[in-house]
Order: sequence, then structure tokens, then C-alpha cells
Amino acid sequence: MAEPFPDPIQMTLAIMTSPLFLKIAIFPGLTSIAIIAALLTWLDRKITARVQLRIGPQYVSPLGGILQSFADLIKLAFKELPLPEKADKFFFVMAPVFGMVLAGGLMGLIPFSHETLISNLEIGLPVFLAFVTLSPTLVLLAGWSANSKYPFIGGLRSLFQQTAYEIPLWLSAIGVVMLAGTFNLEKIVLAQSKGWFIVPQALGALLFLITSVAEQERIPFDLPEAEPEVIMGWQAEYTGFFFLAAQGAGFIKLYAFSALFATLYLGGYLGPGPLPPLFWSLLKTIGIVVAVILLRGTFGRVRIDQLLRAGWTILLGLALVNIVITYFIVVGFPTI
Amino acid sequence: MEALTSFFGVSAILLGIGIYGLATKRSAIRILFAVELIYNAANLNIIAFARLRNPPIVTGQVIVLFSIALAAMEAAVGLAIIIVAFRLNNEIDLRKLTRLKG
Amino acid sequence: MTEPAFLVLAAVTVIGSIMALEARDLVYGAVALGVAFLGMAGLFILLDASYVAAFQIAVYIGAVVILILFTVMLVGPAKGEAQMELKRVSLLAAVLVATLIGMGGALASAAAFPGSDVCGGSCDIQSLSRTLLIDYGTQLELLSLVLAAAVIGALTLAKAEKKT
Repeated sequence: MAEPFPDPIQMTLAIMTSPLFLKIAIFPGLTSIAIIAALLTWLDRKITARVQLRIGPQYVSPLGGILQSFADLIKLAFKELPLPEKADKFFFVMAPVFGMVLAGGLMGLIPFSHETLISNLEIGLPVFLAFVTLSPTLVLLAGWSANSKYPFIGGLRSLFQQTAYEIPLWLSAIGVVMLAGTFNLEKIVLAQSKGWFIVPQALGALLFLITSVAEQERIPFDLPEAEPEVIMGWQAEYTGFFFLAAQGAGFIKLYAFSALFATLYLGGYLGPGPLPPLFWSLLKTIGIVVAVILLRGTFGRVRIDQLLRAGWTILLGLALVNIVITYFIVVGFPTI
Repeated sequence: MEALTSFFGVSAILLGIGIYGLATKRSAIRILFAVELIYNAANLNIIAFARLRNPPIVTGQVIVLFSIALAAMEAAVGLAIIIVAFRLNNEIDLRKLTRLKG
Repeated sequence: MTEPAFLVLAAVTVIGSIMALEARDLVYGAVALGVAFLGMAGLFILLDASYVAAFQIAVYIGAVVILILFTVMLVGPAKGEAQMELKRVSLLAAVLVATLIGMGGALASAAAFPGSDVCGGSCDIQSLSRTLLIDYGTQLELLSLVLAAAVIGALTLAKAEKKT
């Protein structure tokens, strides 16, 4: 070694103040993900309560119980962790943890603004969707490893649902790629400086919203964890920290998919005026989140046969129609 | 070049493991695993040669995309056959599935 | 070439594939196969084929591994496992022989393939899609026909199974 070994303290400091580390640790990385997931839990409960003419959480802080989810988080994190005796311990523990890691990893791909971009991959969109395809494997393993009937039924439902809705998800996202001419998420945002893609891609945006809600397993597509039918489905045997991980992964996915929707169809961080790009991207993301939460309060749960038939026939067909429409738009108006 | 050798070595090891699985395993699902490993060995080989050629060529990636699609198709049909065989015979040990023997 | 990354990914791939064949429980075997596929995707990224790597993750782990898991759970993990006829040592022998042959072939051909460290413009997604859609367009169409035939075949098999 020619050069002297660097001082460990200085090296640690250099790493900790480097922009990439700050982005991963604070925004849009780990800290902000945890805080936003907790806030989304509160928002979800509050909005659903208002839709159903209830009040929702209100005691934990003066501002409408906004700290309720943090209190729940602390309570769940310090609970005892009993493992079911007949469970396959390895997968029972690993599945929810890896699910949360995967959901957090999705956030690294979203361009909230040019400065806070963690990774600017040339193929950002396929990588995001490829990560999403990993989650049914983990859910199936979680359901199988609990070695109990309801979790296994929930895991199988999740497998059928997510694999059926992945294909329309990819196909509806292709319309945006055809218009923008790139897979890179930031270039897709910049390509919308003349107009948001939701105008030429109205059908695609609708399909993307529906299929992404199905991928997140939220009402009206929450069959894998339907409480009245399969008693929380694949999460039935989880408690304490693992339940927190499973639920948190769901809310992080809600956040990530909403951010992706804003990126693909609503112009991402582009916005008028003196306000920073970060404000616009977060505003659009929160708007989509509220829309998805309102779906939960408005619609009932679909049956599994209705879900699969709609996924394999109507949504797949409409996604192909959307690609044909986009082709004519690209050929007919080459300036867009 | 040393890098080429090492990628080639990983590919060769995977091929060896795959052939070992084909030769010794009797469960149909394990044999499917072995076939998938051999597919992967071939894919890695093609990509390594296409990339480390001078000048590099992109056709290798195209061929591997085709290969991955065909492997997925083969797995889907193979697993459907395994499920049907299991329903008919209650067995997926290939050496006991002798109904088709002429 | 980034050597530590290569060593880690190669180790993950090889250990994953050995575990896939040797794990006692088929579910663990299928997951080990998925880990081996992930390592393989990492090797593809090292070779500047990141789109193929994303495709590998989406198709192999998102589709093939989950189909295998579903089949294993349907068939039952206890079924279908039988004693091996060859000794476990033969794994080592097979790997060693294959590695020796592979290394020999690689060393022999290393002079013919000197390799270049930068891939540049001929590995990016634009040239990949141009090659895929223009030079290999006919083959792509044929591939989609084959896939359609496979889907119909699998559906027919599943329907026939329902009748009996």
C-alpha cells in the first residue's frame, strides 16, 4: 500500500456528509420513507373514517390524532415476537423483512427532483416494475411458511392477483415509453414539459391506476388480506414487528406507486412558479394517494373470479387498445 | 483476458451442476431446476462472449432475451405437464411414471 | 473489471444453484434457484447488459420461480423426492471436470477474444432495441407465435386435467 491508511473518523465523516449518503438516509431515502409511511397510515384511517361518517383517530395529539400512527409504531415495535410452533421460521421471518426492503428500494428510483435523485438509471421504469414482480413470491412464501390455512389461502390469492395484473401494468406503462421515447424516469418527466402525458394517455393512466391499486392489494382489490373472508390473509399469523413490516411495506408501496403515477402521467416534478420542484412532485404524489384512499372508502371488495376475469380479459384488452391508440398518436402528431 | 476466463468459469460450473442434476435427480421438479441452470449457463456464456468481443456486439443480448422468453415458456408448459402427471399418477418421480412406455 | 463484485456474485450464483439441487425441502430449493437467478442478473449488469438483467429478474424470478413454488406447494413437498443413485461426490467431480474444460477452452480462446474494457455505444439500450426490432424483427414475431402456442398448450393441459 503506497498511500497511508485514511483516518477512520475522517472517512466516516466524509461518507456521512456525502450527498449520496444523505439522499439515501434522509430524503428520499430511509428516514423520510418511515415518516411518510406513518403519516400515510394516519391519512388512510382519517380519510376512510370521514368517508364513512366516523371521526377516526383523534386523541394522540391536538392536530387530529396525527401522532396516532407513531404511537402504534412504538407499541408494535416493542411487542413480544412469538413465532408459531409449526411455522417455517426462516421464511416466516425473512419474507416481511425483505418485502419492506424491496418496497423501500422502489423509492430510490423515483425522481422527486433533479437534486434528490439517488439513481438515474437508463432503464429506470423496467427496473421498478421488475422489483414489483418480486413481491408475490415473498407474499406466497409468507403465507406458506405460517403453516396455517388462512395465510396460505391469502398467499395463493396474492399470487393469482399479482401475476394477473402485472401484465396490464407493464403494457399500460408502455404507452408512456412510446410517447417519451425513453425508459429513463427523469427523461420521461422532462419529455412532459410541453404537456402532461395524462392527456394523450387517459386510458393508459386509468389502467395504470387500477392495476397499481391491485398490485398494492388495497380495496377494492384487497382479497389477499380480506378481513371478513380470510382474516388478514397472509398476515394472519404475524404480530409485533413483523406485522409492522408487512403493513409498512403496503404503505410504502402506496407511496411509491403514487409517485410513479405522478412521474409517468402528471409531469413529475415539473410545475409553475417559484415553488421548488420537490413541492410539486410531493403535492402530486399526495394527491394520487388521497385518490387511492378515497377508493377504499367508496368501493366494496370484488370477488376473486371477477378480479381474475377482469384482469385477464378486459384490462389486458384495453391495454393493447391503448398501445394501438398511442401508436396512432405517435405517428399522427410527431411533435408531441 | 482474465475477466473473460472467470465469467466463462462460472458458466462452466453452472453447466456442470446442471448436468449433475439431470443425471442424479429423479423428481421432475428438480430436473426442471437443472434445465433452468443449464439455460442460465448458456445465457451467461453468450453475453460474456458478446460483451468481451473486440469490438463488443449487442446481438448477444438479443439472443439472450429470446432465450429467457423461451425458458419461461418451457417452464410454464413443463410445470403444467408435471401438475397433470401428478393428478393422474399421484407421483412425480420420473422413473415411476411408466404409463407412456411403449 | 470490478473484481470483488464479480467474486461475490459468482459465489452467490454457484452456491444458490448447488442449494437449488441439494436442499432437502423443494421450497427452499426453489428459493435458492431464485437467489441463483438474482446473482446471474448481477453478473449480467457487470457485463453491461442491464436491460437483460431487468428482464431476467422480471421473467425468471417474477414468473418462473413463482410458478415452480406454486407447483411445489400443489404437489406437496414430501412427494417425489427419491434417493439418489450416484454419490454426492459426483457433484464435486462434475463441477471440477466442467470447470477444467471451461477454463481450458477459455484460456485457449483468450487470444482470439482480447476483449475491451469499455463497451460504449454498442451496449446501450438504443442499439439493443434497434437490433431487436429491425435486424431480428421476424424472429421476434416468430417468438411471439411460439409463446402464444405455449400459452394455448398450457391452458389445454390445465383444462384436460380438470375433466379427469
